[in-house]
Amino acid sequence: MTGITKGFFGALANDGVDFDLQWGEVHALLGENGAGKSTLCSILAGLYHPDGGEININGRPVELRSPHAALEHGVGMVYQHFRLVDRFTVAENIALGHPDATFLSRSKDLEKQVEHLSSKYNMPVPADAGVWQLSVGEEQRVEILKLLHRGVQILILDEPTAVLTPQEARNLFRTIRSMAEEGRAIIFVSHKLDEVMEVSDRVTVLRDGKKVGTLPTSEADPASLARMMVGRDLEMPARREGVPGEPVLTVSGLTADGDRGFEAVRNVDLEVRAGQIMGVAGVSGNGQRELAEALTGLRPVKAGQVFLGGVDITRSSVLDRIKLGLGFVPEDRLGTGLAKGLPLAKNLSLKSYRAPPLSTGPVISKRAVDQRADELIQRFDIRGTRPGLPVSLLSGGNLQRAILAREISGGPKAMVAAAPTRGLDVAATEAIRTLLLEERDKGAAILMISEDLEEVLALSDEIVVLYEGRIIGRLRPDQADPEVMGLMMAGREVDLS
Amino acid sequence: MSFTIGTREILAEPRPLPSKTVRYLVPVLSLIVGLMIGAVILLASGHDPIAAYKEVANRGFLGELPMIGTLVIATPLILTGLAAVVAFRMKIWNIGAEGQLIIGAVAASGVGLALGEHLPGWIVIVLSLLAGVAGGAFWAALAALPRAYLNTDEVISTLMLNFVALSIMNYLIFSSVSFWRDAERLTFPSGRFIADTAFLPRFWGRLHIGIFIAIGAAVLLWWILRSTKWGFEIEVTGDSGRAAAYAGIGVNRKIVSVLVVSGGLAGLAGGLEIGGVMHNLDPRALSLGVGFTGIVVAAVARLSPIGVILVAILVAGLNNSGVGLQTMGIPDDIVLLLEGIFFLCVVGGEWFLRNTIRIGVAGQPVGERSVP
Amino acid sequence: MNDSVIILTLVSAIGIGTPILLAGIGEMMTEHSGVMNLGVEGMMLVGGVVGFWASTETASIPLAMAAGMLAGVLVALIHAFFSVTLRVNQIVSGLALVTAGTGVSSFIGGLDNSALGGMRSVSTLDPVFGGDITDLPVVGPLLLGHDWVVYLSWLLVALAGFWLFRTKKGLALRAVGEDPATADAAGIAVTPIRYIYTLVGGAGAGLGGAYLTIGVFGVWQNGITAGIGWIAFALVIFAGWRPWRALVAAYIFGALRNTGFTLQIMGVEISSDILNALPFILTIVALIIISARPVAARAFRAPSALAVPYARESR
Repeated sequence: MTGITKGFFGALANDGVDFDLQWGEVHALLGENGAGKSTLCSILAGLYHPDGGEININGRPVELRSPHAALEHGVGMVYQHFRLVDRFTVAENIALGHPDATFLSRSKDLEKQVEHLSSKYNMPVPADAGVWQLSVGEEQRVEILKLLHRGVQILILDEPTAVLTPQEARNLFRTIRSMAEEGRAIIFVSHKLDEVMEVSDRVTVLRDGKKVGTLPTSEADPASLARMMVGRDLEMPARREGVPGEPVLTVSGLTADGDRGFEAVRNVDLEVRAGQIMGVAGVSGNGQRELAEALTGLRPVKAGQVFLGGVDITRSSVLDRIKLGLGFVPEDRLGTGLAKGLPLAKNLSLKSYRAPPLSTGPVISKRAVDQRADELIQRFDIRGTRPGLPVSLLSGGNLQRAILAREISGGPKAMVAAAPTRGLDVAATEAIRTLLLEERDKGAAILMISEDLEEVLALSDEIVVLYEGRIIGRLRPDQADPEVMGLMMAGREVDLS
Repeated sequence: MSFTIGTREILAEPRPLPSKTVRYLVPVLSLIVGLMIGAVILLASGHDPIAAYKEVANRGFLGELPMIGTLVIATPLILTGLAAVVAFRMKIWNIGAEGQLIIGAVAASGVGLALGEHLPGWIVIVLSLLAGVAGGAFWAALAALPRAYLNTDEVISTLMLNFVALSIMNYLIFSSVSFWRDAERLTFPSGRFIADTAFLPRFWGRLHIGIFIAIGAAVLLWWILRSTKWGFEIEVTGDSGRAAAYAGIGVNRKIVSVLVVSGGLAGLAGGLEIGGVMHNLDPRALSLGVGFTGIVVAAVARLSPIGVILVAILVAGLNNSGVGLQTMGIPDDIVLLLEGIFFLCVVGGEWFLRNTIRIGVAGQPVGERSVP
Repeated sequence: MNDSVIILTLVSAIGIGTPILLAGIGEMMTEHSGVMNLGVEGMMLVGGVVGFWASTETASIPLAMAAGMLAGVLVALIHAFFSVTLRVNQIVSGLALVTAGTGVSSFIGGLDNSALGGMRSVSTLDPVFGGDITDLPVVGPLLLGHDWVVYLSWLLVALAGFWLFRTKKGLALRAVGEDPATADAAGIAVTPIRYIYTLVGGAGAGLGGAYLTIGVFGVWQNGITAGIGWIAFALVIFAGWRPWRALVAAYIFGALRNTGFTLQIMGVEISSDILNALPFILTIVALIIISARPVAARAFRAPSALAVPYARESR
C-alpha cells in the first residue's frame, strides 16, 4: 500500500501512509486510539475506499471495492465486532456465502472440514455448536476459521486480543505464528506493547494518521515503541491545581459484568473528592464504558459499593442518582446522551423537565423549556441550529456543549464524563475542557474517563490507569511521562518510586 | 439504492428534513396517484370512474344525510386511530385495537344492562363508557405486561388477542345463555337492549354525541402528547430507548401505561358503539375491521392526533358511499379495494419524504435534481 | 371403524387444516427471510376467488390452483415492493393488504354480474386413490383417502424443511432473516432473497385460498376465509418457524375449528366459539413461554431480523 489517504468529514484519518507486507510475516500495526490503524485496515479489507494512493498485491495493482472483492483477492479481516449469525452453528457460519457450488448443506461433511481446519491450526471449536453457546474467544476462532476456509492469504486481525483472556491470547499467538509459517501474511493491530513484542516480526507505528516508522521487532523495545506511539513530549499545560475537599464519589470493590456476561469491571476502588478531577486512562475496551454505566445506574453492579455524598447508591435507579446530583456525559453522545430525533430545546431539558419551573404538576411549560434552552444556548455558546430542529444536525462540538450545558446546569455534586472531547476540533476541545475545569472549581467531583492521554494529563488532578477492568496504576500528573503511561496502558505495572 | 435503465442511472439518496410544502404536497400527490390507479381498475371493470368518484363525493360527504352517516362511521375510527397513534409514537406496535374495542363493547353493554334500569340515564352512560375504557385497557394489559417484563413481542400477542376477544363476544351471544343475550330470541340470537335512558343523546339525525367525545379525545391526546411529562417521555422513549433510560425514565412502566391508554381508547370506541349506535351487543353489527383500519388511518395521518380526525372522516366517507356505488351497479366492495390502494399509495409516498431521486447517465457523476 | 367419530374428525381436520398449512408454510418461508406479511388473509381471499373463477372458466383443477397461486403472488408482490424497497412499516403494509385483498376478492366475485357467489364448484377434487384401498381401517381414510392437493401439501412441508435446513439456499435464506448485515457481508443478496420469499408466501396463501374455495367448501362467498388466514399466520409462530411442526399444528388448528359438533355428539358441552379461540390462545401461550426462557427456547424463536427493513450502511 502506498500513499494511502482517507479523510472523514474533512479530517484525515490516513495521510499518505505507505505500508508494505511480506508473505510469511506477522506485521504489527501499533498506535493510539484514533491513530488511523482501523481506517488503514478497513481500506485494505475493501470496506472503505481510499481517497488517494494505491494497493498492490504481488506487484499488481488491485481495486478492492467491497469486502467481497477483497476476499476474492485473498484479503480477509476479523473485525472487532464479529460478523457471525448468532443462531447458526459454527459449521453453518463457516459455510455461509462460501462460493463453492454445492447445493446441499451437509452438516456432517462441513463439521468434518471445520474440525480438520481447527485441529490443524490449533483452534479448538465445537463445529456443531451454536455460535450463541460460544465464548468470545471461540467466536473469534470461528471468524479466523471462516477466512482460512475461504483460502484467505492476507489476514487482518483488528485488536484481536481486546476481547480475550491472557490464556486465550497466548493460544491465538501460537495460531498466528503457525499461519505465518505457512506463508500467509498477517497484519496484527494492537496498542498493547507486550503483545506486539511477542508476536510480530515487524512493527509499523502510526500516529495522527501518519506513519512514524517501520522497524523489525527484534530492534525495538517497549520503551522506544511507547515513545514512538505517544510521540510528542507530553507537556503539562499551565493550569491551576484543584483544591480537593471532602470525598464525594466513593467506589469500593466495584465489579460489573460486560454485555458478554464476563466481568468487565473488576474490583475497582476510587475516591473522587469535591473540586477534583480524577482521570481514568486506558486503552478502549478495558472496562471504561462498563465502569461509567455501573456508576450511573445503567448497568447492574455485581459486587462492591458506590456512595454519592455519603448515600449508598449501589442499587439506586438512574432517576434517584440524577436527583442526588450525579451528572453523566456519556461516550455515545447521539443515542444515549441525546435523543437524536428530538429538537435541541427538548434535549436540554431531558433531565430537568420533571420539576418547576419547567413543569407544574404533569404539565410541561413549553415556554419555560424554550426559555431555558435559549439561556443555555447563550451561556454555553451552542451554535449551528435552531432550537426546533433535530439535534442530530448539530456538529460534534455543539452536541457535547449541549450535553455539558444540561449536566452542568443541573448543579451536579459529582459527574462522570466519558471521552468528553473525543473527535472534537481544537476550539471545541478547549471549550469543553474549560467547562470541566470550571465545574471542578465550583466544587464538583469529576470522574473523567478518557482514552486520550493528552486530555487525561491536561485535566486530571489524579490519574488511575484501567487495564482489563482493573486499576493497574495510580499516579499524579507530574509523575506521568509517555513511557510510564504507555507501559501502564499496555498492562505493565510500573514502580514509580 | 440505485438502478440503471438503459444509459440512465437512477439514484435514490436519503435526504434531510424536507420542507413543509413537500411534506403536505407528497400525501396529496400520492392520493391523486391512488385515485388514478383506482380509475384504471374501474375502467377495466367497465365502470365510469368519474361518475363513480362523483357518487363517492355525493354519498359520502355532500349533504346532510351523507355527512351524518359518515360521522357516525368516523367516530370509532377516530378512537382506534388514536389508539394506534399513542402506541406507535413510542414504537409499541399495538395491533389489537380490534379486540380491545370488542371487550370495551362487552364491558360497556354489561354495565348498561346491569345498571340501566336502576340509575339515572346520564350516570349509566358515564359508567358504561368508563367500563368500555376499562375493558379495552384490561385487554391491552394482557399483552402489555408480558411485553414489559418478559419482552414478549406485542405485535403477535395483541393480534392474537383480537381473535380471542371476537370468540368471547360470539360465545356470549351465540353459544350461551349469557347475561348479555336476549333469552326471548332463540332463532336469531342477539344481545339484550340496554334501557333507552342509557342511550347516548343524539343531536343531528342519528349522529350521537360520541363524535364530540372522539374529537375531544383527539384534542386531549394532542395536548397530552405535546404538553405533559407523560407525552414528553413517550417522545424520548420512542426516539431512543437508551436515551430514555439515561434520562431516568422507567421504560417498562412506560410501555405498560402507553398500551393501557391505547387499549382504553379502543375500548371507548366499543363503548360508544354500544351506547350510541347499537344499544346491544351484536356480533353481526359491531363494525369489524375498525381496529385494523385505525392503524392504517394513524399511519396515513403520520401519527398526528388531529390528522387522525381528518383521515378517519375521509375513510368513513368512502365507506359510507359503498351503498351508493352499489346502486350504480358497482359492487360496494370496490370501496375496500380503493381504500387499500389509497392507503398503500399515501404510506408508500412517504418514501419520497426520506429520499431524493437523482437521474444521470450511468457511470458518470450526476447533477442533483430533486423530485418531491 | 372408519366411521368412528375420531376418524371422521381427523379427516375433516385434515380438510380444513390443508389450506391453513399451505398458507402457513408460505408465510413461514417469508418470515424466514425477515419479512412479516400480515396480509395472509387478504392473499388467501384473492387466491380463493381467482382460483374459484378459474375453475368455473376452465373446469381444470390444476389450472385453477395455479391461477389462485399466481393471484396470491401478485398480491404479495405489492407487499414486497412496499416493505422491502420502500421500507414502509410492514404492519401497515400487511394490514392495507388485508383491506385491499378483501375488497378485490369481493369485487372480482361480483364482476360482470357473473356473481360467483353461491355458485357450486364446477369440478371437484377427487381422492387420488380410488376404490377399496381407502376402506383399509384407519390408514385408509387418514392417509390414502385424500385428493392430490393434500399430498402436495405434505410434499411441500418436506420440501420446505429440506430447503431451509439442508441446502445452501436455505442457509442463505435464514441468514438474511437472522442477520442481514452479516449475510450481506458474506456476499448474499438480501433484497432479491426477501422479494423471492415474500412471493413464495403469496403463492402458498393463494394456493391455500384456492383449495379452500374449490376443495373444502366448493363455493365462493365474500370473506369466505373467515379468519383462516389469521390462523395460518398464528400457525407459523405456534410451530416455532419449523415446517414439520406446522404440519401437526395445522391439523390441530383444523380440528379445533371443526370439533365443536363432534364433541357435542360425544356429550362434551364445549362451545365452538371457545374452540375457535384456542389456536390463538395456544399461540399466545407459546409466545410467552418462548420469551420467558429465551435461551432454552432458541430453536422456537422468530428470526431475529423479522419485520426489520434492511438498508446497507452507506460508506
